[in-house]
Amino acid sequence: MELEDYESSLQQSALLIKDGPINDYVKNAACRVAGDYCSDFRVYIVRNPSFNASMTANGVMQVWTGLLVRVSSEDGLAAVLGHELAHYTQLHTLERLRRIKSSLAASSVIDLLLGLPLAQMATVANLMAFNREQEEEADLLGVSFMAQSGYDPHAAASVWQMIVEEEESAAAKREAAGLFTKTHPAAEDRIVTLTSYVEKNYPEPKAAENDHHSHLEILNRYYLFLMEDQIDTNRFGRTEHMLKRHQQIGVNPSLVDFFYGEMYRQRKSEGDFELARQSYERAIQAEDPFADAYRNLGYVHLKLKKPAQASVHFRKYLELKPDADDRAMIEFYLEEE
Amino acid sequence: MKTRIVFYCSLVLLSGCIMFTAVPPGELSYSGLTITNASTWNQAPKEWTRLSRADAKTWTKNGILLDRILIIPAVPDGEPLFRQVSDSQALPLFYASMLPIEINEFTESSIVKLFGEDGAAVETSNLRPHRFGEDKGVIFDLEVKVSDGPDYKGMTGAMIVDEKLYLITFLGAEPYYYEKSLDEATEIIESAFVKPQQ
Repeated sequence: MELEDYESSLQQSALLIKDGPINDYVKNAACRVAGDYCSDFRVYIVRNPSFNASMTANGVMQVWTGLLVRVSSEDGLAAVLGHELAHYTQLHTLERLRRIKSSLAASSVIDLLLGLPLAQMATVANLMAFNREQEEEADLLGVSFMAQSGYDPHAAASVWQMIVEEEESAAAKREAAGLFTKTHPAAEDRIVTLTSYVEKNYPEPKAAENDHHSHLEILNRYYLFLMEDQIDTNRFGRTEHMLKRHQQIGVNPSLVDFFYGEMYRQRKSEGDFELARQSYERAIQAEDPFADAYRNLGYVHLKLKKPAQASVHFRKYLELKPDADDRAMIEFYLEEE
Repeated sequence: MKTRIVFYCSLVLLSGCIMFTAVPPGELSYSGLTITNASTWNQAPKEWTRLSRADAKTWTKNGILLDRILIIPAVPDGEPLFRQVSDSQALPLFYASMLPIEINEFTESSIVKLFGEDGAAVETSNLRPHRFGEDKGVIFDLEVKVSDGPDYKGMTGAMIVDEKLYLITFLGAEPYYYEKSLDEATEIIESAFVKPQQ
């Protein structure tokens, strides 16, 4: 597929996020960090719960929602965007494209002989990653892009630290490594290099210059679908790590508590239904409680064999959401009680 | 080398022999799950449905990328809805103690995995009770968005009988193939029941 075709298919993808505020936020951050390169590229936000961003040689920047829901601030977002832009400005992406094309031409000959696309598949998988020198160059140049545009360069190492911690949480639950980690190895080494570079060149943090509320506003606004997609991955080690971070950075507590409830209820480890009950109980303490928290608190009471309490919460759910699409299901339980 | 080329060419040619088989109208039973179809469907060969469980069937009218009915009978407690082909899949597991909302969530997450979690988003709605023969079950609607294909809409019917899950899902490409087969797929799903063990 040519790059223009790739961009065209991205534009038509059902998973492309077209909503204004989230696009404005990411595009503004990308443009700010890119400076004079701003008119060189187009930003596409794609609904995908994994942590990743990428840029092609013709200026297609792809940002996955899994990145937005993981970084703690606009500075963290700028760190990843700066890194990808550095790959672009240093022509790493172009070099990679040439490498893929020439290797694919060679592997096509092998595939013609085999009658199967095995060689091409192996070739693409091997060639998508940048080499170690390119990654380090992109890390350091990305940091200077951040600093020039008023972002805090100290956030770059924090993003890597977050990735390392999430991978540790995932590994503890025997979950597979994330895509970004697979294509960007040796994160610990890069944290050390980045930290020493930033401390030497930018000793003073620039946090005061930035409006840290903008990232929180975006998270709060889109949190439901962002976290629903994450819950659907069935990777609870990662989800738990993300929720802890969201609590720390001040995402709407009732939403975070609701998703703690969702995670515990769907994880189903020993004691999880009680933890889910406690989380939903906290979620409904909010000034403007989320109706679904009442419904799922009802369900968790059913799991805990407390049908009378379940009915109380089911009734509250229907009171808050009289036209709920699962009304018939809830009424079925109310009639059974 | 010549022998090898002939061997691989033969493999490619043989793959053309993998056939869909017609499923004529009538009542059919798969591992205890009985369903009734009013018109002919085409059953996909196993080679086309590598993630299907051994006793699951996939039917289609116009090709599985356009419409399909997944018939998944007798999933035992502690097993996934689809075949695990890699440890990294993190497929959710079925538990016989699941409530309707949990069957709904389990199906949603499983369908995400079927299409690939880095390339699909699934949403469910309208969870409602339904009686399948003598057994209580649920029906709910689905919407699937995939990165490089059509949007799908569909419907799932599911019940737990003797600690096993019996599930039927219809998915049709939006809008034409979904609307074209929805009524018949609904009849098939609603007709389902599990025959009592002898």
